[in-house]
Order: sequence, then C-alpha cells, then structure tokens
Amino acid sequence: MKVRNQKVAEKIEPQMAPMIDVVFLLLIFFMLTLKIIQPEGNFNINMPAVAQAQTETPKLLPDFKVRLIADPLSGDLLEVRYGQRSLGNGPAAFQLLQQLISENVQGSPFADEVEVEIDADFDLNYRFVIRAVSACTGKVIEEDGQTKTVELVGKIKFAPPRQSARVRAGG
Amino acid sequence: MRIPKTDPAAASVDMTPMIDIVFQLIAFFMVISNFEQTEADERVKLPQDTLAMPPKVKPENELVINVGFLRDEKNNLPEQGPVVFHGGEFCWITPPPQDCPPAVKVFDNRAKVVRTFKTVDFNYRLEQEKRLYYDRGVNVAEQVTVVIRADSRVPTGLIQKLIQMAQEQFAGSDGSTQAGFAMFALKAEQSGEGQAPQTSEP
Repeated sequence: MKVRNQKVAEKIEPQMAPMIDVVFLLLIFFMLTLKIIQPEGNFNINMPAVAQAQTETPKLLPDFKVRLIADPLSGDLLEVRYGQRSLGNGPAAFQLLQQLISENVQGSPFADEVEVEIDADFDLNYRFVIRAVSACTGKVIEEDGQTKTVELVGKIKFAPPRQSARVRAGG
Repeated sequence: MRIPKTDPAAASVDMTPMIDIVFQLIAFFMVISNFEQTEADERVKLPQDTLAMPPKVKPENELVINVGFLRDEKNNLPEQGPVVFHGGEFCWITPPPQDCPPAVKVFDNRAKVVRTFKTVDFNYRLEQEKRLYYDRGVNVAEQVTVVIRADSRVPTGLIQKLIQMAQEQFAGSDGSTQAGFAMFALKAEQSGEGQAPQTSEP
C-alpha cells in the first residue's frame, strides 16, 4: 500500500553546548582533586608481647643480633654491628650487613626459623632502622637483565628500647 | 544599488576530535585519581627505601599511627619534638618534656597566626582503640595490623616505646584481659628502581 504524506526524516542535531559544559566541569573537577602521592611500601614485623611469645615453640637457632649505635646529639649512625663484628657506618655498612645475612640464610635448611633482632640506640634517626630492616629482609639482584627481589629474613623484631643518652646525661 | 542578500555561511565547527580528547583526559584523571581514604599525613616525611613493597594482601583491619614533626610556616623543623597525630590531636608517647613536647605551636596559614595546642597522652587513646576493636568482635592480636608511619628523623626509641605500648594487654569492656597488638608494619616511601636509598637529610 502506498503511504501518503510521507515526511522527510528530519535531521536531529544534538545540543552539544550543555554536554561540553558538563564535560569541562568534570575535567576541571578531576584535575583539581588530583593529588599526587608517592607510592608507599611496608616492612612487616611480628612482635607479640613477651607473655605470648613465651608460649611459642622453642627456637632452633639463636637470633641474629644487629646493633645500631647513634650519635646522641644528631641521631646519625655511628656504627653498625652484626653480632660482635663492626661493619662501620654509611651505605657500605648496610650492604655488608645484607651480604653477611644473605650468606648465613641462603641455602640454610633453617632459613625460615631465622629471626633478626635489631637493637638500636634511643636517639638513632628512624630512617637508619628502616635501612637495617631493609638490609635484613631482602636484596635486589639482577638476573637476565631483570631486577628481582630475593627474600632473606622474614622475621624481624626489636630489642627493648634503650635509655636516651640525654636522659643518662641528666637532660 | 541593490545589494543582494546572502545568508551568512554557518560556520560549523567539527566538535568530534575535541570531545574525543576531552573524554580521554577525563578517563585519565578518573583512573589516576585516588579516592581511597588513605590515612597518610603530609606532615610525616617517610624514610625512603628500594625494598619497601606494597602489601600483596591488604590487611583486614589497619590502625594507622602517624608520628612526625610540626613544621613552621617556612617548612622548617621548629624546636619541638615529635608527636603522634591522632584524631586532630597532638599526642605524646613518653611523658613530656624529655622526648615529646608538652605543647606544640601550629602556624595557621589562613589566619596567619601561631596557635598553641597542649599535647595529650597517646597510651590512653591506644587503649581506647584496642577496646573499640574488641567490642566489634575483632581479635586485636591476630586480626589488626598497626601501620606505623614515622618521620625519618623520629628517634627510634620512641617508635620502640610506641610498639611496647601497642603490645600491652588491655581490659575489655566485659572486664576480661586481652592481648594487645602483635602485627606491625613500618611504612617507607618507595625510592626509584636501582636508586640507592637516601642517606642524607631529606
């Protein structure tokens, strides 16, 4: 059947102006709310209270002891000791610490049992403790042109806090 | 002379490429915007380390503790010790004035005045946090991770004392004695790949 009064389809032109308004508003909102934050990472330490820790099974290996000696005035690192051995200070000391721990842990059947105790002076700046924790927990190696992180010691704990040198000196 | 009327040519601007770009920009900002409620405090300048990795599994319950210094209007470290920033208050870890200050001065950037705030005991607030978790049926020792975000210059002894305080047993609201926190995470800023961790003052 022939349809009469057939209308020519009108070309629908969408209104672009309001859409662009909204889109620009969204753009400005996201630009202003953008907050660039540095990525952060964790070092996990498991430190139950003394009473709880005593109920655990006895350890097969003694703790590795890392001693950090600080300058009481500036809080800078004076010396790193691993057991009785002095490793000096600065980045080389932490590299040596990492190397020694790596030698003791890698290939050992008791690697999972090993625990490191960090004994730092009260006034030591916290960043040196993080460096010591980092040196004990793992190391970055290059393998086939790719960097890889090798885990060393999973259990880290702190020794009881020492007294501040300022307190010992009477303020 | 009669000038013949002509319709001004309607200048039609092709909007398609512009809208394409604008939508791409919106998508970009939406993706990189971080709407997650982080409890990061800008007053804390974290130590940097290459091995600091984000946790593979996000802990179920996290208690974030920020320990830092109050800087003056020129972003310098004024002569006031470290404090814990907790719920809009400034708290001490050891009784002042030995390691933590009895009061802190804060520069109000809007009013351009320096305001003084008394510091309060953090141990009391930590007890409250433990009790709150316990009341919600959360096992404090096994299900809560205490995330310590400490400034790179905070004395280590204060962090150790903070951990000791967190480990302490507490009395639940039903009168029972409960074990304190046992899982801790020390936060550090990730330094670039292959870059040696910072050794000098930040």
